[in-house]
Amino acid sequence: MGKGWCLFFLFWPVAAVVSCAMAPMVGWSFPYDNAQAASNLGIRIDGLFYLILFVTAVVFVGTQAVLVYALWRGSSNRDERATYTHGNHKLELIWSIIPGVILLFLALYQMNLWADFRIKKYFPEAAVKAPIAEVTARQFEWRFRYPAIGKELQPKPQSDDLYSVNELHVPFGKPVMIQLRSEDVQHSFFLPALRIKQDALPGLQIPVWFEANKEGVYDLVCAELCGWGHYKMKAHVIVESEADYQNYLKNLTQQQFYDGLGKIAANENDSESEATEK
Amino acid sequence: MRFGLSRLSLLLLFPLFSLTGCEQPQVNFVFSEKTNELVPEAAKPVKEALVRQFGNPFELTQFEGLPTDFGDVEGSVKTVQASSGEEKLIRFQVEGLQDAYPKLLGLPLEWTSGKGQGQISRIKEYNYETGTIAVDKTADIDPQPGDTFLVECTRLQFGRDLYNRHCMHCHGMSGEGTGPTSRYLNPPPRDFRQGIYKYTSTKPTAKAQNADLERTVKEGIAGTYMPSFKLLTDDEVSAIVNYVVWLSIRGETEKKIVDELFFDYSKKVVAERTSEDGGESREDVMEELKEYMELDFPDTLEFATSSVAEAWEEANMEDAVVVPETPRVPDTPESRERGRKLYLGDKTKCATCHGPQGRGNGTATQDFWTNPATNEKYPNRGLHDIWGNQLPPRDLHRGIYRGGRRPIDVYRRMYSGIKGTPMPAFGGPLSDEELWDLVNYVMSLPYSSK
Ligand SMILES: [Cu+2]
Repeated sequence: MGKGWCLFFLFWPVAAVVSCAMAPMVGWSFPYDNAQAASNLGIRIDGLFYLILFVTAVVFVGTQAVLVYALWRGSSNRDERATYTHGNHKLELIWSIIPGVILLFLALYQMNLWADFRIKKYFPEAAVKAPIAEVTARQFEWRFRYPAIGKELQPKPQSDDLYSVNELHVPFGKPVMIQLRSEDVQHSFFLPALRIKQDALPGLQIPVWFEANKEGVYDLVCAELCGWGHYKMKAHVIVESEADYQNYLKNLTQQQFYDGLGKIAANENDSESEATEK
Repeated sequence: MRFGLSRLSLLLLFPLFSLTGCEQPQVNFVFSEKTNELVPEAAKPVKEALVRQFGNPFELTQFEGLPTDFGDVEGSVKTVQASSGEEKLIRFQVEGLQDAYPKLLGLPLEWTSGKGQGQISRIKEYNYETGTIAVDKTADIDPQPGDTFLVECTRLQFGRDLYNRHCMHCHGMSGEGTGPTSRYLNPPPRDFRQGIYKYTSTKPTAKAQNADLERTVKEGIAGTYMPSFKLLTDDEVSAIVNYVVWLSIRGETEKKIVDELFFDYSKKVVAERTSEDGGESREDVMEELKEYMELDFPDTLEFATSSVAEAWEEANMEDAVVVPETPRVPDTPESRERGRKLYLGDKTKCATCHGPQGRGNGTATQDFWTNPATNEKYPNRGLHDIWGNQLPPRDLHRGIYRGGRRPIDVYRRMYSGIKGTPMPAFGGPLSDEELWDLVNYVMSLPYSSK
């Protein structure tokens, strides 16, 4: 085996490390121009991601370095013979225990994060107490039901509930919770910018909480192949200040109880959301 | 041979599967069944007239007098490329189309100056980058630098492209409601060619306002497969509606002229007329048809188009909208009780269809009804809409409001009825207060314990 092969095997770990390091600069990294996650939990998830990336990178680079070293030595020294060491007890122990320790460490390290994300007992109390909306996924749109201003969301629809489609408004800077449902098949509530993803299952009502940390319009997409229109199942989550959010609800209320007369007559045929944006 | 011959052959067949799996959608407008039931001698001129006036999806045609935003864009010839003698196209560079829609292929181009003034060419090639257009070479078309022209239908084409991307797979290329996915849907997608839309803000006999259709596109229809297209921009939604209405106008025009001919020249009627009992010879009937086509058909066509266009224009007038004279009567137990009495009473007969409890199971759902179009009984029990679908009356307890859940939406459903369905208009018989009482009662049903 020639030295060219050593260079060949040296090239790949170097290329991998360089392209990973470049990824954020050329937009191959996280969504929305590699911006930091738009939720605090998301930032923690990113941290976990980077930790795993670091561990795997060290292992990858380390093993590749050993490989290149072995190749290099073998190619420059024709006299030395390789020794066959099948069943070396010490080696077997080393390469079982080290990955085992790493995996155990990761498993323990992320437990708090997982609990905060998924276990209702650890959800922020304020969010659990007052879910802001019921989100119903259906082929191929997202429907939202908010409680009336000053009231709490009930499991069953109420006469003064507020409704909207494909546009969910939430306030930022505080944890909010939604109740996720599906009307037909399995869908998945995915907020890439907030690193939130939860499947919606028919017959279940699944609580999902998140805390957006900055204003903006974020995509809500369906991450489950739910039918031919799956790719169209897209909505906007509009993260705004508490005041704007209350204003939105007020406008929605006005629209919802519109009787064809009165001051919103001018734009009555506009959708609910637009009336508030103008 | 572990891989196995059968698997190998499957693998080899894969390209074939993938080719046959892609059904190419129809690229021409389809004609209605009724048109195809005419004798060929009558169907042919009808089809030709429709193609002349409306073109086809990939060769749209501008027709004056429709309430449609066709979207003309002006341009002028910059340079003409010398073409070899055998070339069938003339290519020329243009100015002024930089802001136009980048895809102008197939659109009509009307010459507004030069030798070909008044002539219409079809755009055979268009390169947005270089601003080059190619049209058919004819004796009259001889573009010179400086000649001006209009490219027609750019707005309509924009709407068509969006429609084909977002709506066509259910509603079909011609708006006939039979796109590739339609067979899986219940209720089936709407056939636009009758020009009737269920959920409008307009008076009982009026068509839909553009704004009504825009609202439907943006909000979707809860309880059906029509999803919300809220993420499209307002401009895109209005372009889609512009195109959908144009498809409706095309379909309605076709229906009107075919209805005129059907009575005398359908295959069935002609067969009867030329049978022994009928006693006419086929030559006589065809002679009569020829005369009709020469003398009366142009007027029929003109009248059909203009009356349809007028109806759409009127619907978009301000006074076409139903506006209650009194505000909503406060939603009190008393008002709901008055509403309940009306609901059960003889004045409205709501319970006949929607059932005494509002469960959608009134006695009318057990009867055999007559199809008003054919005067024959439907094969199934229950109510039907004009598109021929069986139509259960709404269960009022479900809290799903297809036409919108605002009080005004429910009011308008009662005032104007639901167009194309047996739900009648109560705008005359009931006073505003009575209507509001009914609205209050109906809207309370989903939350009542019963
Ligand atoms: Cu989905």
